[in-house]
Amino acid sequence: MTTKSSPAVRVLGWLSAVTLALTAVMALVVTPGDVNMGDSVRLLYLHVPTAWLAMYVSFGVTTLASVLYLWKRTRSRFWDLTAGASAEIGVLFLGLTLLIGSIWGRITWGVWWTWDARLTTTAVLFVLYLGYLAVRKVPASPEVQSRRAAIVAIAAFLDVPIVHQSVEWWRTLHQDATFLDDRRLLDPQIHGSMAWTLFLGVIAFTLLYCWLLAHRFRLAWLEDRLADRAMQVAIDERRAEAGIS
Amino acid sequence: MIDTRRRLWLAGIVVIGALGFLVFQGLGNATLYFRTADEAVAQRAQLGERRFRIEGDVVAGSVVQNGNDVRFILTSKSVDVPVVHKGDPPELFRPGIPVVLEGRFQGDHFASDRILVKHSETYVAENPDRVATTSR
Repeated sequence: MTTKSSPAVRVLGWLSAVTLALTAVMALVVTPGDVNMGDSVRLLYLHVPTAWLAMYVSFGVTTLASVLYLWKRTRSRFWDLTAGASAEIGVLFLGLTLLIGSIWGRITWGVWWTWDARLTTTAVLFVLYLGYLAVRKVPASPEVQSRRAAIVAIAAFLDVPIVHQSVEWWRTLHQDATFLDDRRLLDPQIHGSMAWTLFLGVIAFTLLYCWLLAHRFRLAWLEDRLADRAMQVAIDERRAEAGIS
Repeated sequence: MIDTRRRLWLAGIVVIGALGFLVFQGLGNATLYFRTADEAVAQRAQLGERRFRIEGDVVAGSVVQNGNDVRFILTSKSVDVPVVHKGDPPELFRPGIPVVLEGRFQGDHFASDRILVKHSETYVAENPDRVATTSR
């Protein structure tokens, strides 16, 4: 691990930039407005991909990495740092999802916020992962810190399927899933170019996630190494003071 | 030492359990985010003057703007509820669409002070043939 990012990560960065630009062109120029929502439907191409990135990709990776950390055979600092880095990106993008959703809600529903099941469970999810990031900072020995965080991460993920199913289990103002539902997956009720733009957006944001994760992880890894080195220097100094060589 | 650890685990499980219970209980009430118009009429007596959300379709041709009021008929499973809404309806309000209203029963009608326009999970292009419409 060096202090500079690898060429592969740079390629990933360019790929996500290009796909994001393409998504923007598709979303703003190529796709039509919606028969009911007009131009505000274009927020769909941000709202769904950011939700996808945060809930399924980021928090999914955090959970997987946490399980791999807790499992003795695969336990390593690598998984702990990956879990933390991924959760940070997830919290950022879940915040964006809530923000964009709020704006979209104001335009279509007429309110910035309402306590329906989808919005409530998503707000709970946001707070849960903020809590997870806080738990990571609670002082303890590194092993205790990492294990504690991993357990909290797995517990927090329990809310993700609840958020996903909220529109099916309860009556909500929020619309149901257009694609990710067993009945509609093969027959989504969405105009063709809208569907393709949404699909492209999901790919673009997934690439963006990979790029962000690579950078955030590298930073966390370097911070970790720096802390180790500082500790070593401090130990050596104490030893020198005591006259032990 | 093992005792403290076991106690910590127990405390954690109790906390998570309580949290889960609370969320589910809280959301149990969110099942009642709205009552459909037919349900509200059936529960008319027990609802009384209580404030609640009601859902249904705005009957086409029933919308009458009257100064500061908007009057229309809300329908669900062919049960009609006359509505008097105070204030401006939201921009996307139009006959035929599903809406959720906040307010209470008042005499023979539902007095609404907030209209939430519902949107379904279907997305339809507004001008399927855009070339034709732009070159009119």
